[in-house]
Amino acid sequence: MYELIVLALGLPVVTALASLATRRRGLLKVMNAVSSLATCGLVFAIAAGVLRDGPFAWGWLYVDGLSVLLLVVVGLLTFTATLFSVSYMDTEADEGHIRPGLMGGYWALLQLFAFTMLAVLVVENLGLMWVGVEATTLASTLLVAFYFNRSALEAAWKYVMVCNVGILFALLGTILLYYAQLSAGGGGEALSRAALEALSGRLDPFLVKLAFVFILIGYGTKAGLAPMHTWLPDAHSQAPSPVSGLLSGALLSCALYVLIRNLGIVTAVLGSGFVQAALLLFGVLSVAVAVPFMLVQHDIKRLLAYSSVEHIGIVSFGLGVGTPLALYGAAFHILNHAVAKSALFYLAGIISQRYRTKHVMRIRGLLAAMPAVGTMFLVAVLAIVGTPPLNVFFSKFAIVAAAFAAGRPVLGALLLLLLAGVFAGMMYYTCRMVFGAAPGGLAPTPPGACALAAVGLSLAWVVGTGLYMPPVLDELLTRAAAQMFAATGGL
Amino acid sequence: MEILAVLLLISAFLLTRTTRLATAVHILLAQSAVVAAACAVAGWQAGEMHMFAAALLTVVVKAGLIPYALLRLVRLLKREREVNPVVGPNGSSLAAVAAMVLSYGLIERALPAVVSRDAVATAVALVLIGLFLIITRRQAIMQIVGLITVENGLYLLGLSTTRGLPLIIELGIFFDVLVMVTVMVILTFRLKRSFQTTDTSILKRLKG
Repeated sequence: MYELIVLALGLPVVTALASLATRRRGLLKVMNAVSSLATCGLVFAIAAGVLRDGPFAWGWLYVDGLSVLLLVVVGLLTFTATLFSVSYMDTEADEGHIRPGLMGGYWALLQLFAFTMLAVLVVENLGLMWVGVEATTLASTLLVAFYFNRSALEAAWKYVMVCNVGILFALLGTILLYYAQLSAGGGGEALSRAALEALSGRLDPFLVKLAFVFILIGYGTKAGLAPMHTWLPDAHSQAPSPVSGLLSGALLSCALYVLIRNLGIVTAVLGSGFVQAALLLFGVLSVAVAVPFMLVQHDIKRLLAYSSVEHIGIVSFGLGVGTPLALYGAAFHILNHAVAKSALFYLAGIISQRYRTKHVMRIRGLLAAMPAVGTMFLVAVLAIVGTPPLNVFFSKFAIVAAAFAAGRPVLGALLLLLLAGVFAGMMYYTCRMVFGAAPGGLAPTPPGACALAAVGLSLAWVVGTGLYMPPVLDELLTRAAAQMFAATGGL
Repeated sequence: MEILAVLLLISAFLLTRTTRLATAVHILLAQSAVVAAACAVAGWQAGEMHMFAAALLTVVVKAGLIPYALLRLVRLLKREREVNPVVGPNGSSLAAVAAMVLSYGLIERALPAVVSRDAVATAVALVLIGLFLIITRRQAIMQIVGLITVENGLYLLGLSTTRGLPLIIELGIFFDVLVMVTVMVILTFRLKRSFQTTDTSILKRLKG
């Protein structure tokens, strides 16, 4: 197990260094695709090990059901993003949007980005987790800016400023937690989760509450919870499409994971009431803030970005409801949203390459122009808005049903109403884009086989787990939900 | 320790007055050096070796590499200066004084049990003034300076409440800060090349 984790962390770093060393585009593509596939395989092996033997702890490393769920998300998305990049970034370079000489840098940053996310998920110490989250911002900033045109630079600047300030708040919260640990007698290792949990009876509740506020704001910024989401639409829409997929599916979930880990300490000291109220508030607010922007949005990638704010809000809402069913739904939703949304960003990338625009009103007749891509886009949008029998429906349904069952009918009804608004906005624009006659003057290049494979793989997952829940996935989600229950549901 | 706290407050106060980028970076350098000194003094008082290592790292990273990179960048940005900030120097100085009063008040209420009250209050004041600089300054370099001021404040807060985080976490933070400045220097350089200015108030195309 130890070897597997070290390998999964080491492989992306080695690949990143190797990517900087060569300039041959063919070699870069093969090397990175193989490496990401291997990382994905290692992550699945770690998941299998945890499901078989239970949580694994060794020194600074710690992996349990919840980390494994997120590891699977990151591993899977890194693989699909790499596979998609293989043909997508080639086309971008051929069309002159990117200097071919920068491709090595792109691959290196992509691998380092994956490394930082994996590192966040396998460390036990809250301080080291902070270091990892900050590193994810730094690794992804230059990826967001990668086109180095005016809009990309603007997006990257806002991203790095907002997220750095946010993450410094989280550092303040972490320092306060450490102060609370020392004040309580400070047994065990500094900021170790196990040590803090063992001490939880003696931690000063006021200090912990103060720390919680800063931690929630800090990691909430990184997770894209409203009203700290302002960086998100810019960064997600200006990054290259594979990176948008990773940012939206993997990075937001990782930030949420760190938040949940910190909440474990907070609820042990303060009880669950305060924490759950805060999560419910931020959850509903995120969905509510996203809806009006989605109704009037004319940039396809910004539309998807606001949808990410909405979905993170739904997950936060599920965590706030806090019953086992809601948490199972939240765990399932993290996975479903990651796969479906990344597929949508990839498709948006293919579409904007073909139509040479991201403007929704100028994209028409997708089905006529590109039957396969059009069909996949339609399926992916139907999935993300929560249409049965696709898997996102089931996770959303579980969360909303749990809200009603837990005696929160008003909030549940409000969420349903907002989701109806999201459905209207997304479907209106999607129907405009998908149906009708194709305009002339489209780029002649067909989408690459690797790009289609990446999207196809994601959609197969979306459709497949909607129709049939494999026992091993059910087991994984149950374990993750149990960890979340311990963290947010109180004792 | 009290003298160092006063020096830090003066540095933050001066940052609110300056409109020249190079001056701001020099003040930042002095501020980081004082933070390093505070770290060494605290380490000497507590008799802990790892704090000397942290002080040395502060000197190398925050008083060495980061100001060096920023000054090199400033030399490329000829004729850039903070013109027309959201709140002018006089208003900013007033806000800095308010931040200092506020931070002492906050410490009284929030952390009454803390031993080194002056250091903690200074740390909170640095954080507030740094945030204020980020919000009100338009020049990219000034915002970076504000960000590092916030970081210095948090570092001092950790130092005065908990004698600093464990060395391995500290190392990670130093590495992150270094990479952060590198990334932001690259971005600022690109801003200059694309927009012919590093005034970030022109970054308002992405909306809605």
